[in-house]
Amino acid sequence: MAKRIDTGSAPAGLITAIASAFLLAACAGWSPPPSAGAPEDEVETRVREPARQDSAGVQVFPLQNPAVKELLADADAAETAGDYGQAAVLLERALRIQPRDPELLQSMAEVQLQMKDYEQALSFAVQSYDSGPRVGEICSRNWRTIGVARERLGDHAGSAEAAGRASRCMNTRPPGL
Amino acid sequence: MAKTRKRKPSRDRKRAAPAVRRGWGRAWRVLLLFGGIFLGAMVPWVVYLNHQVTSEFEGRKWDLPSRVYARALELYPGARLTLSDLEIELRLSGYRRGDALSRPGLYRKAGDTIDIYRRPFLFPDGKEDARRIEARLARGAVERLRDPVSGSELSLARLDPAEIASIYPLQKEDRTLVRIEDVPPLLVTGLQAVEDRHFKQHPGIDLRGVARAAWANLRAGRAVQGGSTLTQQLVKNFFLTSDRTLVRKFNEAIMALLLEYHYDKAEILEAYINEVFLGQQGAYAVHGFGRASLYYFDQPLERLEAPQIALLIGLVKGPSYYNPRRHPQRARQRRDQVLDAFRETGLLTAEEAQTARAAPLGVVETPRSRGSRYPAFVDLVRRQLGQVYREDDLRSEGLRIFTTLSPSEQEKAQRAVREELRGLAKRGLSPTLQGALVLAEVGTGEIRALVGDRDGDRPGFNRALHARRQIGSVIKPLVYLLALEHGEDYNLLTRIEDEPVTLRQADGSQWRPSNYDDVSHGEVTLLEALTQSYNQATVRLGLNVGINHLLSRLQQLGVDAEVEAVPSVFLGAVELTPLEVTQIYQSLAAAGYSVPLRSVIAVQTAAGDELVRYPLRMLPQPRREAISVLNYALTQVVEQGTAARLPALLDSRVTVAGKTGTTNDRRDSWFVGYTRNRVAVAWVGEDDNRPAGVTGSNAAMHVWAGLFRQLPLEAVDLRMPDGAYWLWVDRASGRLSAESCADAVQLPFVEGSEPLEKTSCLAAAEEDDKESIWRKLFGKKN
Repeated sequence: MAKRIDTGSAPAGLITAIASAFLLAACAGWSPPPSAGAPEDEVETRVREPARQDSAGVQVFPLQNPAVKELLADADAAETAGDYGQAAVLLERALRIQPRDPELLQSMAEVQLQMKDYEQALSFAVQSYDSGPRVGEICSRNWRTIGVARERLGDHAGSAEAAGRASRCMNTRPPGL
Repeated sequence: MAKTRKRKPSRDRKRAAPAVRRGWGRAWRVLLLFGGIFLGAMVPWVVYLNHQVTSEFEGRKWDLPSRVYARALELYPGARLTLSDLEIELRLSGYRRGDALSRPGLYRKAGDTIDIYRRPFLFPDGKEDARRIEARLARGAVERLRDPVSGSELSLARLDPAEIASIYPLQKEDRTLVRIEDVPPLLVTGLQAVEDRHFKQHPGIDLRGVARAAWANLRAGRAVQGGSTLTQQLVKNFFLTSDRTLVRKFNEAIMALLLEYHYDKAEILEAYINEVFLGQQGAYAVHGFGRASLYYFDQPLERLEAPQIALLIGLVKGPSYYNPRRHPQRARQRRDQVLDAFRETGLLTAEEAQTARAAPLGVVETPRSRGSRYPAFVDLVRRQLGQVYREDDLRSEGLRIFTTLSPSEQEKAQRAVREELRGLAKRGLSPTLQGALVLAEVGTGEIRALVGDRDGDRPGFNRALHARRQIGSVIKPLVYLLALEHGEDYNLLTRIEDEPVTLRQADGSQWRPSNYDDVSHGEVTLLEALTQSYNQATVRLGLNVGINHLLSRLQQLGVDAEVEAVPSVFLGAVELTPLEVTQIYQSLAAAGYSVPLRSVIAVQTAAGDELVRYPLRMLPQPRREAISVLNYALTQVVEQGTAARLPALLDSRVTVAGKTGTTNDRRDSWFVGYTRNRVAVAWVGEDDNRPAGVTGSNAAMHVWAGLFRQLPLEAVDLRMPDGAYWLWVDRASGRLSAESCADAVQLPFVEGSEPLEKTSCLAAAEEDDKESIWRKLFGKKN
């Protein structure tokens, strides 16, 4: 088992990051970069669908408050409509209500994957895993997202490791619990 | 009346004619000469005026102040909120209490239930219509939320945010633009009925109007009436000064004619409606009916009714003389005159006019505050936006700026700084002590409150952003973090030396740090050294982990300042601002999920189109498992360390993490602390950096506690991430133990740093376990 989860490249100084976040926001807003030849809806085919299959029978549903549920449903609808920016805004609102909700964090990770912001996708998925049940479907989605994101960031070894972790979500006792 | 006046000048001319008959020929020549000169001068003059009118009117763009909004309060069942906080939020959003919820912007309270008529609002993520929201609050939380109109339960609703500040144009004009098609028709027709009845017919100047005014003035013996058309009034406001000279009058007339020649009546009227001066709010001039409607009635223009429209039209004549707040009698008389004019001209029926006359003025007692309510926070907003916008744009583009400020928390933070500093003075500390306080949400890095002065509303030096002071022991947790990352060498029970240490400094002098109590404590655990903030142990540990590692970690945590690589950095010889310290501790509080602190979420144009969004972006720190272990240690600072008095100050046993900081000669007092969802940094000291007799726990901790006493407290999240575990250990020996063993405590360990040796108690228990498994497998042993 890996000793820790590495998030790929180490972050540079926050101030630089803040500045570049501003620049990015100012220049590009939320519009996703042009498709880089990725398969259609990678999130569905490589994250959600296999996670559903993995988890047949093993489900861990964290309790959610109705406000968060409503925002999550709206975010799902926005995502389905292809409005990833709006989906992210709604998830952010939900995260203000329940900051460490693994379901919200994972949904955000998937939206970031849709927007091809792989570093953010990785960060949110890892945080979801850390604060989540570390078993079941969501664990599988966590690691599959991490796998796709690492692959896109060129970390192929990390991606393969994530695939292994995803497959163990159903049959190992979660570490640290 | 107009006819008599028209004839009069011609009679004068006839009478004058015989007097000049003798010199007729010469006079005619002189006249021609002057006429020629006049025309020669006039043509270029008119061309010049024409250019001025067209270029300025076409390129006209009012400088619109930018509006700064607080965060929108989200209401949902379970939201931690007290009745009084909700009322504070409503009040700061400009809501008023009323029994009948006749319009948006009102609320009523009955017992523990608040019924709100929420205004329509264009949020950063979409428009929401006006609606009723009924919230029942109990035990510090929203218990139930419903729509009282349909009776259905609501799972989520939000208030329109408080407008906390406006960033005004330099000429100090306040204005809310309206389009002519959104203006109530009665305002459009009524304005003409009162100010310019021939507006639709005249070409810019109204000779009949001029004559009528002249006659009235003549009869009164002084200037009582102006004959200016709306066009002339607009020209005067737009292009000219207000002095009453003939030349100016002449220019005004020419320009009015030109304006009418180039533009249609609707354009001119729209410009007038947005330009006219209608009042003064403090230093800011209220221009246009859109703003005036908000200023006097706290309602958008399109919702005004006849008596209110009449009042505003009446104000055109003299906003200060008829000021309805200062001179309600005069204002009422003037309004009724205007209503009479409405009736005369058929805009209102006699009955309608009568009903309107019976209505009260309806002016809200105090206008919604437009000034900068929270100057320190707005300062931060300007700094964040300054990276994208020029100051000029902020002052003129009418931007809608959505921020993260929580008005109720800001009020609490200001109160905490003010009252706690006053309390410190009563206990013998200097009455000139200054303070700063920054409060942020842990998970999102959103700044909820920021205070930069002991008097929170006072603009000026903003210590939260600009006071760069040594941070003292507030830095120590990072030294311990670096140690915990070396799991093979350190865990919380590793013993280190708290003994005198002498270091040679760059200038050749020797540095011998001492402890706060001047005692060396010998061999202590990492946990003890941190919770008791021992200097000598920390310096020794720091030398082992390396100064350069500490500096690069500081940088990774968002500190951009130049820091000299000297060992005194281990004890906080680093000058940082309270905001920078908040950034460092946000990372710790969020278990390593760093988020750049934000004060602005989104910016829209005046029309509501999104310009910029600052989304939540995470920058996770490496080795987060060590950060989680450190978090536990910081809860022990409060449990049994230098901040042990905090629970009493908070009057709560909720698990809180924190660290005190004191600098040399007691110049600075710091306290940094966090709960599950809030992180705050408090600083107290003297502006001139003189010794102030303060320590982390005797000053800043009080300010911090003064704030958190007023907030709902949620225990720090001590769940360990992947790569760290809770284990039962024996504190004294540092060996692995078991829950059932005496003196066993549960402590977190980074994977790989666990003790290997076991207590005899654990060994015995394991032996028992084996036996019991043996028994289970093979049945009872006889």
